[in-house]
Amino acid sequence: MALGNDSTADTNSITDSVCFLRMKPFQTIGCIAGSIILIVLFPAAKALATQGHAGIEGVWVHQFAHLFFLFSMMLLIFWLRQAGLVKAPGWRYIQYAALFFILWNMDTMLVHFLDEQIQAVRVESLGSWRIRVSTASDRGWLATVYYLSKLDHLLCVPAMVCLLMGLRHMLKEVKPVESGRGVR
Amino acid sequence: MDASLIPIWSVDVVGSILMIVFAFLSFGVSLKLKYKDPNNIIVTYLLWVCLSLFVFAISRSAGHLLKQVFLLTDRRDLWAAIQPFSGAVNTFTFIVVASVTLFFERSWVIYGTILKDRQALQTAHEELLYLNQNLEQLVEKRTEALVISEQKYRRIFEVSKDMILVTHMDGRIVNLNPAGKSMVEVNPDSREEAIGNKSFQDFLSGSNDWETISRHIDDRGFISSEEFDLVLKDGSRRRVLLSGSLAKSPTEDGETIHFLIKDIEQRRLMQTQMAQADKLASIGELSSGIAHEINNPLGIILGYTQLLLRGEEPRSDRFNDLKTIEKHVKSCKAIVEDLLNFARTSSPQKEILDIRAVVEEVIGFVRHHSNLENIQIETVFAPKLPPSLMDEKKIKQVLINLLMNAIHAVDRKGTIKITTGLNESASRITVEVSDTGHGIEKENLLRIFDPFFTTKPTGEGTGLGLSVSYGIVKGHGGNITVKSELGQGAAFTLSLPVAPTLSGR
Repeated sequence: MALGNDSTADTNSITDSVCFLRMKPFQTIGCIAGSIILIVLFPAAKALATQGHAGIEGVWVHQFAHLFFLFSMMLLIFWLRQAGLVKAPGWRYIQYAALFFILWNMDTMLVHFLDEQIQAVRVESLGSWRIRVSTASDRGWLATVYYLSKLDHLLCVPAMVCLLMGLRHMLKEVKPVESGRGVR
Repeated sequence: MDASLIPIWSVDVVGSILMIVFAFLSFGVSLKLKYKDPNNIIVTYLLWVCLSLFVFAISRSAGHLLKQVFLLTDRRDLWAAIQPFSGAVNTFTFIVVASVTLFFERSWVIYGTILKDRQALQTAHEELLYLNQNLEQLVEKRTEALVISEQKYRRIFEVSKDMILVTHMDGRIVNLNPAGKSMVEVNPDSREEAIGNKSFQDFLSGSNDWETISRHIDDRGFISSEEFDLVLKDGSRRRVLLSGSLAKSPTEDGETIHFLIKDIEQRRLMQTQMAQADKLASIGELSSGIAHEINNPLGIILGYTQLLLRGEEPRSDRFNDLKTIEKHVKSCKAIVEDLLNFARTSSPQKEILDIRAVVEEVIGFVRHHSNLENIQIETVFAPKLPPSLMDEKKIKQVLINLLMNAIHAVDRKGTIKITTGLNESASRITVEVSDTGHGIEKENLLRIFDPFFTTKPTGEGTGLGLSVSYGIVKGHGGNITVKSELGQGAAFTLSLPVAPTLSGR
């Protein structure tokens, strides 16, 4: 939606500027702030209703999601330990699952960073199930790190296994409750 | 770096398949958990995490698998179309898992509170259930315990030998135990007579006694071991030791005072008698010493007087003077002898005698020597009295003293009664000499056996008669007591031990 009548905005700002002389200090400050907001937000230019989300933005969002996931798993471990829940086998396995998810998140964030953000690594197929990993400035160790980081299922599968084991322990320990006695 | 694609490819494919399998299994287990404990908020949290990870696994792993398929079949365009959608779903599932996890701590706290409340409810429910199921039995048990307790305390109340009294704060009697009723001589069977509209003040002799008790109770909440006199039905008094305390009774209106009252009249009398006996023993010792010291000079004076009398012409002035000296010295000697008798310095010459015969001889003697024109002497002899071991002369002296006192007390008109009896339990015979005379004042009762104490005008009595009698009776191992009230006459009671050989049968 486009906003604005240019002459009206200018008139308002002039009127506000003139009125400073007759106002008390608070009112003066208010008027100045109001004027600045009007000038900045409603300039005499074309306005677009929505912003485009193309290009690298998707990678950033995905990286933030990974970071959020990592942070939440760290918090979960902290709370589980603080509440002493890790003494129970079920929660102890869930703690291990959270730890593996943290490692997995770090791993995938690194891959996304190298692959899509700084594009420091390039992979070429050589055929016969062979690949060539090339890095900027020809850093051999970075290629090795990248190659190993691509094996991320070695982290997320154990995380899921630990989660499953934790849940199974909990299932054994939970006794069925009579209906109507709980609180939702 | 050139490397084999096989490790990456195989880990990707196998890992993707395993991710789907384990995510599916985890979701299934979380569903079972939810089914088992549907109201558990933590299980709900786990279900959401598992659901998100399941969606993530499907999206990512299926995407990876498809990617491998499309790459192998050289359909990169299809993978390019699917890839953004798969990535977006992955991103969304991370956010869901992370968002749900952020609320884990609060959920856990809420869950803990719920568990605590549930436990409290469960405990309360179980208690209620137990009470509901066992209420009748519990009430029965409690009632039985109450009955036993009530009986126990009722028994203490009923069988106590001391008075137990419960009153209102203003002294109105709430309850009085049988011993109390007996003490104040109220018919124990008549509840109305005992406590109906009566106050404790009615039984207190002093007008300020209740005030004193109330002051103690108000100030300290109790009164402890204070002595008071209770007035009995016949007007006589009884010394009691009173303790009491304030109590809030659940059954009575307002506060009540619980008293424990002990009859100490007998103990007090005994203490008085012991003090009297001690006093008389002390006086006896003193008298004995003085009498011995005076007796010798008197003997010398009498001897020399009688020696001088032999050389004097009868009816001469000097003879008459010496006779006067002789008479007064003899009088002094008689007093000294009485004092010695009181002090029991000479042991009695005891023989086995019938008390009845002794009493009759004394009555005959007194009738012969005294004017008994308007005085009636009555005798009540107990049948078959055992003989007693006594010094006839001295016991006769005692009886004569008592009879002469009685004659003096009735003042030429009245009745004197001599009663003999037997106290089998104490193996003693008793002789009571009572009269209908003017009686003895209360303050004189304690001094009546003191030497030289007399209520007769000066010159009419030495005040040694009862002292001597006391000494003689004590010398026989007996006792002499007096009961008297002013205007009601007096009663002296001798008790003498039965002869040992006879009493031992």
